[in-house]
Amino acid sequence: MALLPENLSFSRKVLPIIAIGALVLAVIFIAMGLPDREQSEPEKEPPRAIGELANGARVAGSGIVEPSSELIEVGTALSGLVTDLMVQPGQFVEKGQPLFTVDTRAIRARAAETQAAITEARAALGEARASMNEAEAAIAEARTAEQTAARQLALYRGVDDPAAVSRSEVIRAEGEAASARDRRRLAETRLQQARARVDQANARIQSAQSQAGTTRTELSRATVRAPIAGEILAVNIRPGEFLSNQGGGNSAPFITMGETRPLHIRVDIDEEQAGRLAMGQPATVSPRGAADNQVKASFVRAEPQVVPKRQLTNTASERVDVRVLQIIYALPAEARDAFRVGQQVDAFIPATDGAQGSSGE
Amino acid sequence: MLWIAIRMLTGDKQKFYGLVFGIAFSTLLITQQLTIFINLIERGASAVYSEPTADVWVMDPVSRTPDVNFPMPATALDKVRGVPGVEWAVPHLRAGASVRTSDGDLEGVSIVGVDDATLIGLPKRLIEGDISVLSQPDSVIIDDVGAGKLFENGADPIGARLELNDQRAVIRGIADAIPTFTSQVTLYTKYSQALNYVPGTRNRMTFVIANAADGITHEELASRIEEQTGLRARTREEFAQDGIDFIIENTGIPLNFGITVALGFIVGVAIVGLTFSLFIRDNIKQFGALKAIGVTNAKIRKMVTVQAGLVGLIGYGLGILATVAFIWGFSGNPDFKGFYIPWQIPLISCAAVFVILGLTGWLSLRTVLKTEPAAVFR
Repeated sequence: MALLPENLSFSRKVLPIIAIGALVLAVIFIAMGLPDREQSEPEKEPPRAIGELANGARVAGSGIVEPSSELIEVGTALSGLVTDLMVQPGQFVEKGQPLFTVDTRAIRARAAETQAAITEARAALGEARASMNEAEAAIAEARTAEQTAARQLALYRGVDDPAAVSRSEVIRAEGEAASARDRRRLAETRLQQARARVDQANARIQSAQSQAGTTRTELSRATVRAPIAGEILAVNIRPGEFLSNQGGGNSAPFITMGETRPLHIRVDIDEEQAGRLAMGQPATVSPRGAADNQVKASFVRAEPQVVPKRQLTNTASERVDVRVLQIIYALPAEARDAFRVGQQVDAFIPATDGAQGSSGE
Repeated sequence: MLWIAIRMLTGDKQKFYGLVFGIAFSTLLITQQLTIFINLIERGASAVYSEPTADVWVMDPVSRTPDVNFPMPATALDKVRGVPGVEWAVPHLRAGASVRTSDGDLEGVSIVGVDDATLIGLPKRLIEGDISVLSQPDSVIIDDVGAGKLFENGADPIGARLELNDQRAVIRGIADAIPTFTSQVTLYTKYSQALNYVPGTRNRMTFVIANAADGITHEELASRIEEQTGLRARTREEFAQDGIDFIIENTGIPLNFGITVALGFIVGVAIVGLTFSLFIRDNIKQFGALKAIGVTNAKIRKMVTVQAGLVGLIGYGLGILATVAFIWGFSGNPDFKGFYIPWQIPLISCAAVFVILGLTGWLSLRTVLKTEPAAVFR
């Protein structure tokens, strides 16, 4: 007890000191324990309107980047196996450039077949022509014989002395003349037949030739070509896969392409807000997640039809009751690197009215 | 002379400690019960306060609190973004769901969907993990109290897989968040992911979080948003108050705690009043003697005030110390997470101590003041 003063009273001195100490402790504890309700700035930049739009009348919308030609899902006219794929995603193609070919073996076989048919028909034509010539020769010969017989008969008939020509000679000459006539008739019939065969052969040649033309068309249809100049955006086929042109349910398009010079943006505006929109004004857009990367996009057109808003959750049971006006804006060429087809964007567009809104009142 | 008063007070140890105990007990009762009451109803606002960036919350006109809400169509976000003075606005989803744990247990959870691009809407601090984990597929961040509830056996929640609405969810982070009033497990995830976790209705977006541009007050912005969009807009403070008011209106908590606080006050008055008047009556002879030697009534009033002051100081100090010890002792308990002593409450209990001592002191002084110096001889 040497440390303590002798007349230390617990209740008079120690307790008040303890009490004051407790109060100080409590003040510290309470001050330290107050909850942290400070507001802070977000770590990542959210999309915000800048410049004149920051405090002016504006309409906001979300949009999606698309090619200026819109998306072209290239199909195939013929079903078959993919034998050759000439493009890859990201490649720029010219109009008419081949994209892929489907299996042409059956068509080529048919082409060979028609070629053979042409050859065969040509051979038949030659043969028919030969027999026509033959028949013509036979006719000529028969005519000659007929004339000879007729002259001989006339000669015999002109002789007055019946004893000068034997009766049998006359009969023979008459017979010769008749047989020559028959031979001529026969040859004439054969000539007609040969003519018919020539016509037939010609017809067969024509038919085979037109078939050859068909197969040539088929062959060219088997090679699918770019409908416009543009960029290949997606290739969902590989050589060896079977493509059906019957439209197989919800399968992915074979090749997706579009003109990406320039890119367009399709912005959805709530129909309630559509009336406030300043048509024709450029929009300020930024890609999702990169809000500080804002560019000015120029007005292209407004879609004439107001459509149900397509949600981006992609669930099959999605139902909508919001309708949106779609407005198309063109991105400047230098912003091509920051935007990709299919990317979501946030857009701010000037509005026509002042601060007081036109809806919800 | 005042020292004599103090010696007089502490001379009778039983009564002195009785007085101190009475004050300390009622201080403890009032302070501790008020603290728990305030913290409990502030749980109604914790969802608002755990979102550190929002200036204004925008919701459907019928929504009332962070948990009692009605979803809006997705284009409401664009409407809010179109209001002049809104610096930025992001979607925010709060909805209930059921989760199946790997043990097969079912647990009600609230799903919080934060903006995909900016992750605005997450609590300020994570205990484990980084907010970038949300960019991994099927990621969720669980709140720390919820993690304790969901994994009672002490298993590590990180990497645990849950089943939500037939979807896979992997816990990849633990957030430092104050639990809500219902103490439901809270899972934070991206907005687009949350849409998959919450059984689908047509409209899903429950809130839009908006921030005011420079030079515009939150109240002004809220009224502008209400005017232009027809939606309900509340500032952060208003919306926090809405959550608190909802609990006050819909539960019996204020009545119960009010009764306890009143009891604390009554007990304090009863014990202290009884002991103090007994003490004064026992010492009536001494006061009489003091009066006899010419001490004025004013001097005696001062003496009694000093006595009351000492009792009050010690009792109040010990009572506050006990409250602090209580809150500190339970701070590790998840049910008491985030409990704090608002600075107003010790002042309220201090005022209560003043009232108790003033009342009892005045009552007992009346007899002293009327005492004749002759009382010393009786």
